[in-house]
Amino acid sequence: MTNFTRRGTLAAGALAGLAPLARPALGQGRYPARPVQVIVPWGAGGGTDATARIVASLLEKEMGQPFNVVNRTGGSGVVGHSAIAQGAPDGYTIGMITVEICMMHWQGLTELKRTSYTPLALMNEDPPGVQVNASSPYRDIKALADAIKASRPGQFKASGTGQGGIWHLALAGWLGAMGLRADHVRWVPSNGAAPAMQDLAAGGIDIVTCSVPEARAIIEAGRARSLAIMAPQRNPQFASVPTLNETLGINYSVGAWRGIAAPLNLPAPIAQQLTAALQKVWNSQEFKDFMNARGFGMVWGDAAGFASHMERTDATLGAAMREAGLARG
Amino acid sequence: MTAFLEAIRLVAAPDVLIAIMASAVYGLVVGSLPGLSATMATALLVPVTFYLSPIAAIATIITASAMAIFSGDIPGALMRIPGTPASAAYTDEAYAMTRKGQAELALGAGLWFSAIGGIVGTLSLILMAPMLAEMALSFSTFEYFWLAFLGLMCATLVARSSPIKAIAAMLLGLLFACVGIENPGGVPRFTFGVTDLLGGIEPIPALVGVFAVSEVMRAMMTPEPPPLPRRRFGSILAGQWALTKKYQWPMWRGNIVGIIIGVLPGAGADMAAWVSYATAKRFSKEPEKFGTGHPEGLVEAGASNNASLASGWVPSLLFGIPGDTITAIAIGVLYMKGLNPGPTLFTERASSMYALYIIFVLANIIMIPLGILMIRMASLVLRAPRSAVMPVIMLLCAVGAFATGNNLFSVMLVGLFGIIGFVMERNGYPVAALVLGIVMGTMVEQNFVTSLIKSDGDVLPFFERPVSSVLAAMTIAALLWPAAVWTLRRLRRAEPAR
Amino acid sequence: MHLSDRVTGLFLAVLGALAFWGGSRLPAVPGQDVGPAVFPMVVGGGLVLCGVLIAIGIGRSFEEAEVEPVEAHEGLARHLGDRRALAAFVPPALLLFYALASETLGFLPTAFVMVLLAALSLGASLRLAVIMAVGAPPLVHLVFYKLLRVPLPAGLLPAPW
Repeated sequence: MTNFTRRGTLAAGALAGLAPLARPALGQGRYPARPVQVIVPWGAGGGTDATARIVASLLEKEMGQPFNVVNRTGGSGVVGHSAIAQGAPDGYTIGMITVEICMMHWQGLTELKRTSYTPLALMNEDPPGVQVNASSPYRDIKALADAIKASRPGQFKASGTGQGGIWHLALAGWLGAMGLRADHVRWVPSNGAAPAMQDLAAGGIDIVTCSVPEARAIIEAGRARSLAIMAPQRNPQFASVPTLNETLGINYSVGAWRGIAAPLNLPAPIAQQLTAALQKVWNSQEFKDFMNARGFGMVWGDAAGFASHMERTDATLGAAMREAGLARG
Repeated sequence: MTAFLEAIRLVAAPDVLIAIMASAVYGLVVGSLPGLSATMATALLVPVTFYLSPIAAIATIITASAMAIFSGDIPGALMRIPGTPASAAYTDEAYAMTRKGQAELALGAGLWFSAIGGIVGTLSLILMAPMLAEMALSFSTFEYFWLAFLGLMCATLVARSSPIKAIAAMLLGLLFACVGIENPGGVPRFTFGVTDLLGGIEPIPALVGVFAVSEVMRAMMTPEPPPLPRRRFGSILAGQWALTKKYQWPMWRGNIVGIIIGVLPGAGADMAAWVSYATAKRFSKEPEKFGTGHPEGLVEAGASNNASLASGWVPSLLFGIPGDTITAIAIGVLYMKGLNPGPTLFTERASSMYALYIIFVLANIIMIPLGILMIRMASLVLRAPRSAVMPVIMLLCAVGAFATGNNLFSVMLVGLFGIIGFVMERNGYPVAALVLGIVMGTMVEQNFVTSLIKSDGDVLPFFERPVSSVLAAMTIAALLWPAAVWTLRRLRRAEPAR
Repeated sequence: MHLSDRVTGLFLAVLGALAFWGGSRLPAVPGQDVGPAVFPMVVGGGLVLCGVLIAIGIGRSFEEAEVEPVEAHEGLARHLGDRRALAAFVPPALLLFYALASETLGFLPTAFVMVLLAALSLGASLRLAVIMAVGAPPLVHLVFYKLLRVPLPAGLLPAPW
């Protein structure tokens, strides 16, 4: 046992050597003086993880200390989110929080909410799109909306994520804005956007309301079409997809966002320093290239902007969840 | 042709070759540690790929995952500790061979047929990708439901015990899969107010618990087994050619089943090995030898395992739909490196695609010499005294389980599943069936419930679509077969008494 | 821990019934006819059926003759005498210890205790047990902490790297 582990360590050490690991230059009294832990509440390899890792590697370059990404999974995001909130407010534990923080407390899953954190910066937001099968008769969002209004409740089937997930709430909110009941289109829970898009292509469901980047490959393969996005402006990456506002006159927007936050009561100087560094990261060419490559929406918010953004999301999603009968208490 | 030459030039770049070698060793080491899966090996590589060229980045993912899947067989064969849910299907078989003193034959079969499976799977990717993708896209939840059901049926075939106990163990696994919030209703189910249970019970801690920890528990109350005959650990590849010729038909069947199941998103390599092991037993001329250290099942399941890994890239590359957790990670890397999945990848970036194919083949070829080295080093464990090895295995179980989500709750789960596995084994309940239930649970439920939602509660659509009707017929036949055999046996036994 | 089929069968049947009951009490989801209750009820029902069949001994003919394992006569099992089955629960107990103590004690001390006790219970000589307990944890730490970047807790005794 010992033999092969030792050999493995050497060889794998060589692999790790491919990555230029910045060594900490020990400074006294200034922040950061030692490596910083960046907690990600979702699994390695997903979109949130990838975003956190690029942010961490750029922060490392910016601040001269390692920023180590740690995936704390479990509890559908609850475990990681509470690990961030419960960390010591000394600037050495920060984390990437996601839109779920404005949803879970309405469902009664946790006491944690947006006010459990010191917001640092909003890094990204992806609005939901409305996707249909390529052979669907609805050429534009207007035709689809009319057909939905004319249909009997439950006739249309939509999917994109699990019951009560962000894309479900997007659908519910959109239906509400059209004056329909939240369950007028039946929600088919799925294990994420990819299986839903596959079922859309297989003809199993009518609509998928996941974000456009998640649907991108199937759209580019000519199996599905994106009719609209629920956002204030068009996404420059997918400029041909109109917004709900310009087509239906519905000003409804909600999105899946990701931001960096720290435990509550983080000292103001450290918070300001981190926000300033994050702004440089957000403006850097590397970050832009990464986000554009993945098709992720670039939205910036500083500490105050992030806080008010969370407050808005929290209210919108709370209303949508009550409407859909998903909120408890 | 120019694209192909360009591809060779891309792969022959020094950074790509170094990346392939380094990630091969890395994949072998991580895959062989109990509790660390191929998925984890791949996920941990993601930050490294940030610094690599696009082809080198993809090469590390392809190579490391193929190696880790193979080396997951090593602790399974030597110590009855499967590295991945896939190898749980045939762990008992390989371990039985080790106890018969045929460790090198068992591991050699794993290595040799994994490599063949990987290469055949790659050929299917090269030659039939559009056709396979078309097939994958015709699968809706109805078809998936039947497929998952068929997968569950394998529990009774794989086990060497009462089929009813096997089904009970499988149902127990399904019940564990019910825990958490990832259910069609999105409500906490059987979580008893424990936050850590919201995310459900992961297959890895369960797998490590019922196999590895229960094995350590058994060791606590049984005497050290007599040391294996101290003969030279024979040539690892010797005898593989004979096996290839003898079991040619099962090998091809394994390859084909692996390709078909691998291409279906969500089914993946985990299921391919189970189905192939079960078919090998079903159609074998000597099914009674299965479970006693018989290589036939290893041949078919090993080939199937790695074939599915390669064909799992088809839907990922064409539509960006991950075939399994490994390709889900790979898709992220592809996007990041500007190799956006989609049909254009095959037309506009043809040289990159060819490079990818070359890397697949290369990875499966270098797997053989590196695998032999790895097997030789790992088999030193068999020489060490049990009281020195077992404590380290237990430590690795704890750390490996912790590493899956950096969550200490999984360590407790591992201990709990150790007890469950120990009690089950002592009373004739096959633990492999429990693992199958946990792995397949979400897929069965999700597809069952969503199909019912889509059909407004009607059962007819389960039998209406062409593919689903075929799968339904297969399932029902498989379901009725053992009952028919049992009744026939009863009748025949009753006759002489008349 | 060998129990009769009647006991395990009945246990499964009761568990199945509990699952069925627990499933039936799950809240219905608005706008969804088939909710989270269906699957646990199906599985629970199946378990009840299997449990009853096992308890009345159907399917026994497929099982192989029971090989009662030889009892151990070394390590902890020897000291426990008739209650040697208890020795089997040392590993889960040590895992629980790891889960509870590693945050405060740190990885290296916790792993030391685990490996030492496990090796002694398995009948290793004190010398071998100490060698393993001192040698193995740093190696494991090195692989997981440095190579795999797993945040193992430092606790009382941080590793020198």
